[in-house]
Amino acid sequence: MAITPDNFKFIQAFARDTAAIVLEAGKEYLVETRLTPIAMQTGFATLDEFINQLRRDPKATLFHEQVIDAITTNETSFFRDFHPFEALRQHILPKLIEQRAGVRRLNIWSAASSTGQELYTIAMIIREHFPQLRDWNVQILGTDLSPTVLTQARQGIYSQLEVNRGLPAPLLMKYFTKVDAKWALKDEVKKLVEFKQLNLIKPWPIMPALDVVFIRNVMIYFNVETKKTILKRIRQCLQPQGCIFLGTAETTINLDTELVPMTIGKATVYQCKPALVPA
Amino acid sequence: MVNLDELIRQAQELQPLPVSTVRLASLVASSHTDLEDICEVIAYDQALTMTLLRAANSAADAGVSEVTQVHEAVFRLGGARILSLAMSVSTRSLLKRGVPAYGLNEGDLWLHSVAAASVAETIAEFAAEPLPPETFTAALLHDLGKLVMGRFLDPFDLEMIHRAQSEGGLDPLTAERQILSVHHGELGGIIAQHWKLPEKIVKGIIFHHTPAEGLDLICDAVYVANLVAKPVVNASLPTAVVDPEVMERLGVEQTRLDELTAAAREHYESVSERYNAN
Repeated sequence: MAITPDNFKFIQAFARDTAAIVLEAGKEYLVETRLTPIAMQTGFATLDEFINQLRRDPKATLFHEQVIDAITTNETSFFRDFHPFEALRQHILPKLIEQRAGVRRLNIWSAASSTGQELYTIAMIIREHFPQLRDWNVQILGTDLSPTVLTQARQGIYSQLEVNRGLPAPLLMKYFTKVDAKWALKDEVKKLVEFKQLNLIKPWPIMPALDVVFIRNVMIYFNVETKKTILKRIRQCLQPQGCIFLGTAETTINLDTELVPMTIGKATVYQCKPALVPA
Repeated sequence: MVNLDELIRQAQELQPLPVSTVRLASLVASSHTDLEDICEVIAYDQALTMTLLRAANSAADAGVSEVTQVHEAVFRLGGARILSLAMSVSTRSLLKRGVPAYGLNEGDLWLHSVAAASVAETIAEFAAEPLPPETFTAALLHDLGKLVMGRFLDPFDLEMIHRAQSEGGLDPLTAERQILSVHHGELGGIIAQHWKLPEKIVKGIIFHHTPAEGLDLICDAVYVANLVAKPVVNASLPTAVVDPEVMERLGVEQTRLDELTAAAREHYESVSERYNAN
């Protein structure tokens, strides 16, 4: 069920305009893989018939949501890449706790939280290693474009496959309960986090002053201008000593000269240039 | 198109392993086990007893005198080899199946699996760090996921995995993951969990292509075993290309890869008899 060039162009434009996702030429196979099951489930004989319907009916919002959900890569896992979480545990949180002891407040944001594993990893680290934060005002916020992934994130229920991807067995035993074939996070971790819908390329609500931002493996799907805009907006929300985690293959080079990299162990974090930090 | 839940359900419906093999796996994985405990389990399994006695007297492991008792075989082979052998007895017919979706004819996967287990034994000789005792077994079972995956991929899935590589420039594992939301290592891990195998074996299987994510020496050893097993079985293939960081973690100098491959080939030929590989 190969997609026609014209319909691929339509999906490219649709993904770009709705979610700033860049689908390069050569990604036809991906569109076919992700959208063919939706076309079948919704009663269309071919993928092109399904896309033709999308083109005819710009108000078919249910289909639109399904298409964006399908095209968005929701790859995530507990302790993904490991090193950023080691840097967070060993260096960044201890330092922030020292710096924020007066206000006893921390704001952590996972900007594309997908099904929640990144945010819950942070919550488990805090629960496990920083008991002193129990009486602080700690906001751990996860946002994502997709209502579908946010629903799963809020439920905090994961398959064996999902917990196998990086979650250490002792933490699985301590913070999850087996429910049939799935693993459900205990409330003591779930209650630490909050999820909200947010499209990074649309206007943002008023954000609190952020101490730590995880925006990993998201901007790889955006064009340069969108990357610049998003980094600038994050920088404007960042606390003076706040830091940003990007994906392993991502950088701020040629995107934002006011953010500088700092190596902590095997992780890289980005902070505002000291000169720019408000007094 | 294959459905992820269905794939996992199929992985969890494979016939369970014999109780003695599962018990043996848990004993070998435990740091509190002595070889007498292992002897006790084996003594109740006649087929396994015969296999071990034959193995202990095979070319690779034979000593001066013939071994006729279980405890002598156990002391000669050691817990790690015993488990790997017991597992090979339990999974031989399964791993001998052809998997056309991966271009594997009947018997190909079995040869590769035995070769990987024997390479793992050779790595243990070369490595600066002692390998976990479950390593040989994890190497033997590392491609288990291909069996389930291969049975359920339809022509559409196969075409998309192929195009993800040719048009999307992805490596085979990433292509599998992108198209199916799971790769064969992960599916193999699900089978190993269903079989109640120790966590290290599960990890070794899941991360055999991505050892840095496994954070365990067993993942590094199985990764190298898988790569080196190919030129070991087929001598016309070039020496494997192995991630230097993995070699460093194992404490094997990169320059010794040719030497390791040659030693592994020699070892494979002698242990084939032990595993009844051909």
